[in-house]
Amino acid sequence: MAASIDAPPSSLWRFDAIGTVWQIETTTPLADATRAAVADVIDTFDREWSRFRPDSLVMALAQGVGAVASPSDAADMLNAFVALDRATAGAINPLVGASLESRGYDASYAFVDRGAVPAPWDWQERVRWSDDRLTLTEPAVIDIGALGKGRLVDRVLAVVAPATEGDVVVDASGDLAVRGGAQRIALEHPYDARRAIGVVEVSDAALCASATNRRAWGNGLHHVLDARTGEPVRTIAATWAIGPDAMHSDAIATALFFDGGPELAHDWGVEWVRMTTDGRVEWSPGSTAELFV
Amino acid sequence: MIRTAAVPRPIRIGAAAVGVAGAFALAGCAASDTAAETETETTTAPEPGATTTPDSSETESSAAPASDSTYVDGTYSAEGSYATPESVETISVTVTLEDDIVTAVEVVGNPQKSESERYQGEFIGGIADVVVGQDIDTLAVSRVAGSSLTSGGFNEAIATIKSEATA
Repeated sequence: MAASIDAPPSSLWRFDAIGTVWQIETTTPLADATRAAVADVIDTFDREWSRFRPDSLVMALAQGVGAVASPSDAADMLNAFVALDRATAGAINPLVGASLESRGYDASYAFVDRGAVPAPWDWQERVRWSDDRLTLTEPAVIDIGALGKGRLVDRVLAVVAPATEGDVVVDASGDLAVRGGAQRIALEHPYDARRAIGVVEVSDAALCASATNRRAWGNGLHHVLDARTGEPVRTIAATWAIGPDAMHSDAIATALFFDGGPELAHDWGVEWVRMTTDGRVEWSPGSTAELFV
Repeated sequence: MIRTAAVPRPIRIGAAAVGVAGAFALAGCAASDTAAETETETTTAPEPGATTTPDSSETESSAAPASDSTYVDGTYSAEGSYATPESVETISVTVTLEDDIVTAVEVVGNPQKSESERYQGEFIGGIADVVVGQDIDTLAVSRVAGSSLTSGGFNEAIATIKSEATA
């Protein structure tokens, strides 16, 4: 049974967007205008950053448009990618889109593997951003999967929070942000969705999870690629990161698949847990997660 | 069943309580002697068969020992050391056994040099061996966090591939 601390948020709004399930819990139902504002934020973000829709800004850049008006999230996200690139020695790269497409994770969901393609290591020479222009020196496929969903969770919480009293949970399935009261959240076992490897309590913070078990297709292929090689990661099966905001937590959840992730988590003050593919579990110094070890 | 890291108990206590045979053939007397099947004790040696002692004073737990277990359930500790270029470091390893399965591993480092401390403690807080986890239905939680659920096109495409693969 759920403990009493889990009772408060009582109004649930559930919908599908950007290829996953969203649930927004509030103490009272959101006004229609707030829901419309949430839908607008998500739709705008999708039109800017989705490589799964041909009319998006990043697909225009992939087709060689050169420069576009800078989306409002560009600088924050790309600056975080600079830190991720440095911490993981190039394993995380925002131009990994073509590498994912080559493994079959493309806009048509073809899932036909055409082999490993490294992302351009010198992406910081090829991508330029300022407050008003986002420019590619030559066509390339931007993929912000390393932190994009976390960023969108932050944007949605920023719309919902001022519009309602009390506790708020924005849960985009795998990435969530909590305002107010403690949420007890089970850490799903990556090899058995009926089991949890532990429980964490999250209040006024974000929890982002990543695992290689669901966005996966044939021959051991899944959505977490090492940008340096274009090969899927093999050592880490699942990661969880708890930090002040969802974008940085999502970024750490991705970085934890690689060497250097724990160090960046330390720098950013993000708590974490991760499971290796042979079933061991590691956690950050001072982790408050209750782990069933 | 709760196992605490109790102070090691001399083997003669257990032997006196359940008899010499009981200490070494736990399963054999379990059916008739409920006191003998309750709890096993913490020891400081990694050889469970020789050093683990049934404790007749703790009777609240009633789980029966598996008759085909090779090792006696319990928690075992050992100290180990390894050499670094500058020093010899010591670590303490504690293992919990249940029906011949390792259910918990705790490693406590005692680094002598700051460099070792940095590697052991600065960025990684700890590590546990194979984690089985608990049934989510038994937990008091408000939600579950794992990989993103997929919806729409992804699921349809995977379903198509699967049906083609089996056609």
